[in-house]
Amino acid sequence: MLKTKWMFCLVLILALALVAVVGCDAPEEEVDEPDEPEEVEEPEEAVDDVVITVAAGAVGMELELTRDLAEMYMAENEGVTVEVLDTPDMVEDRLGLYLQFFEAGSSEVDVFQIDVIWPGDLSEHFIDLNQYGAAEVADDHFPAIIENNTVDGELVGIPWFTDAGLLYYRTDLLEKYDLDPPETWDDLEEAAQIIQDGERAENPDFWGFVWQGRAYEGLTCDALEWIASNDGGTIISPEGVITINNPNAIEIVDQAAGWVGTISPEGVTTMAEEESRAVWHAGNAAFMRNWPYAYATSQEEDSAVKDLFDVSPLPAGKAGSGAATLGGWQLAVSKYSENPEVAADVALFMASREGQKYRAVEGTFNPTIMDLYEDEEVLEAAPFFGSLYDVFINAVARPSTATAPQYAAVSELFYNAVYSVLLGEATAADAFEELELDLMDLTGFDAE
Amino acid sequence: MGSNNDSTVTKKKASSRKPKGLSNLAKREERLALRLLLPALLIIALIAFYPLAQVFYTSFTDRVFASGQETNFIGFDNYRRLLSVHVTTLDPVLDEATGEIMIDPDTGKEVYERPLDVLPREPSRFREVNQFSLFGNRYVIGATDPSFIQSVSNTVVFTVVSVFLELALGLAIALVVNSKFRFRGSMRAAMLVPWAVITVVSARMWEWMLAPSRVGMFNALFDWMGAIDSPIAFLAAGTYQLPAMIAVDVWKTTPFMALLLLAGLQTMPEDIFEAAEIDGAGKIRQFVTITLPLLKPAMAVALIFRTLDALRVFDIFQVMLGQAQYSMASYNYFQLIGNRAMGLASAIGVIIFILIFGFAIAYIKMLGVDRNE
Repeated sequence: MLKTKWMFCLVLILALALVAVVGCDAPEEEVDEPDEPEEVEEPEEAVDDVVITVAAGAVGMELELTRDLAEMYMAENEGVTVEVLDTPDMVEDRLGLYLQFFEAGSSEVDVFQIDVIWPGDLSEHFIDLNQYGAAEVADDHFPAIIENNTVDGELVGIPWFTDAGLLYYRTDLLEKYDLDPPETWDDLEEAAQIIQDGERAENPDFWGFVWQGRAYEGLTCDALEWIASNDGGTIISPEGVITINNPNAIEIVDQAAGWVGTISPEGVTTMAEEESRAVWHAGNAAFMRNWPYAYATSQEEDSAVKDLFDVSPLPAGKAGSGAATLGGWQLAVSKYSENPEVAADVALFMASREGQKYRAVEGTFNPTIMDLYEDEEVLEAAPFFGSLYDVFINAVARPSTATAPQYAAVSELFYNAVYSVLLGEATAADAFEELELDLMDLTGFDAE
Repeated sequence: MGSNNDSTVTKKKASSRKPKGLSNLAKREERLALRLLLPALLIIALIAFYPLAQVFYTSFTDRVFASGQETNFIGFDNYRRLLSVHVTTLDPVLDEATGEIMIDPDTGKEVYERPLDVLPREPSRFREVNQFSLFGNRYVIGATDPSFIQSVSNTVVFTVVSVFLELALGLAIALVVNSKFRFRGSMRAAMLVPWAVITVVSARMWEWMLAPSRVGMFNALFDWMGAIDSPIAFLAAGTYQLPAMIAVDVWKTTPFMALLLLAGLQTMPEDIFEAAEIDGAGKIRQFVTITLPLLKPAMAVALIFRTLDALRVFDIFQVMLGQAQYSMASYNYFQLIGNRAMGLASAIGVIIFILIFGFAIAYIKMLGVDRNE
């Protein structure tokens, strides 16, 4: 009698332990699942069929263009299925998603679209593309971007498109009020105020100038442009000296804080790229600071500003010329990919001359291949590529290399300091004095 | 009361029997019970204690998330960084010419020293969290990690206010849908809609409603009423951030609270109320002396559920405020994902765990859920 009970307990324990073990394994099984239905449908091809997943952005037209390229690749390469994974718009959220794949060593995603500020931080998770044929094409790209993507001699990402902040302005409204495109921030302030005052009579939702003022990486980009254009440095110099606490930087950030609630809506402090673009797209702003992708979306049929706008370099402060923050994205292949060769081939195809040209023509994504800036079809779709070529090659880099691997924390301190000034909680002088100390504590660098 | 007496009697019987030694049968039964409990204990150890122990261990290291970097044991450093708080007085600034307290010409208020100059910088720097006045003195609270201290205070305020409002509104709704009226069934179903919406989706919905232009419902409404001159940026300005979070949470979880309370209401026997009615007790008297005491266990369960849930609040803060203002959980997420400081994030996790544990114990003691009344 007792024995039976013992046996019963033992079996029960075993059974439950088994359930627990199977439960732990479940996530890995899920990864494999997507293959199975396809195997059932096409039994002959199943043997060769390789699935490559590309994690790509979805800002503006990004996602559909990536899908188009995936289709093109599949048309030429039988037996390969390229799937596109939609990832969050916000840089921080996208990084969070990627890190979870890396921590798990997951092979679920093969190709990652990575930001210009990440190669240093994430290099350990990517393969060296030079060994998969990138070495031959690397010379076609902007050397600065290739250098940015090269970590310890390894090319961790192939440049896909570059980005630089631009000033979008309404040609019809400048004409109506007899104004020129602004060359300095003071000009911009004045023009925005005049247009806003005039347009408000008919359109109570109209604002002079929209930009990215939410507390996130985008604010770091915007604020860096103000500061660099006012000869205020780049927060931390490439040599590792903290330069942020200087009168020029303080002056321009205080000036920008004055825009909130005057020429820019109070809500500009909740806007990322797409929120500010929505205001512009509806025809409710005279000026907008944004990346080149907004050019193509503003020319779409449903846009209120179609053919009524143009782009120029951002206005200048004391430095005499405007500054644009360097953005842009690369394609990197995961070290955990099951088919690194095929994945590298997909990445190189998407970043090839053909792929970049397609994205430039359809979506005004800036190519990183230099001679595409002289291509007629590209220039027809995005005339400003030619006229603003200097802006793109002289864009100001964020201090991600000097501060790696702590750039995210540096940027968080910086944008929160600027954010507190925009909200009027602190003056730029106080905020940057404190920021300087914070950055010293964090990075161990000396201040200027 | 009666059942309480019974249980003490059985306990006495049991304890009086113990010294004499258990009967064979009882011993065998006890052993069997242990064996039957074993699988459950094993599973709890595997799925609850193991990860928890892992987090405890990681919180004493400087581990970096998603990296092959070497991990070092750093003792209590993470906790010291998170929890160091320093309060000090701020002296008023004296005007050098007159020797009197300087007055800010813009605001008309007295000028005090800057916290930056007063707070200690060694061994690590304290940064300002908040200032307050007490007995004519001005104080500043400094912390080595002000974002974390701020996130704790945000979360506690959020929890207390939202749970209180949910309880009050939930009780009112439960009482209404408990009474008999036509379409009661569909009413109860309709009541649950906000609870059924995924939190991230409802957070997005509210984000749009709170949009800082006339696109947002609230600004459009206020504008139409002529209550505001220019649109309010609810999610940007410090004043409105927490109230907005509380509003979303109350909207979303009041139905859940109402549901739990409704379940409690439905277990109440009709005849007590009939008897009270015959004895001449009014509706209010009945509510205070019968409904409320009988509802206490259900209320306790509902409160515990909601409080513990609210203390862990993550989604609405993350979606609507991002890095502008944190709850404890969203700060934890930022440190882990944004900053990749897995050790520090684990320490935050442990602190959240201890805090929630404390709340749970306090509730159980206060509301007497452990006694079988």
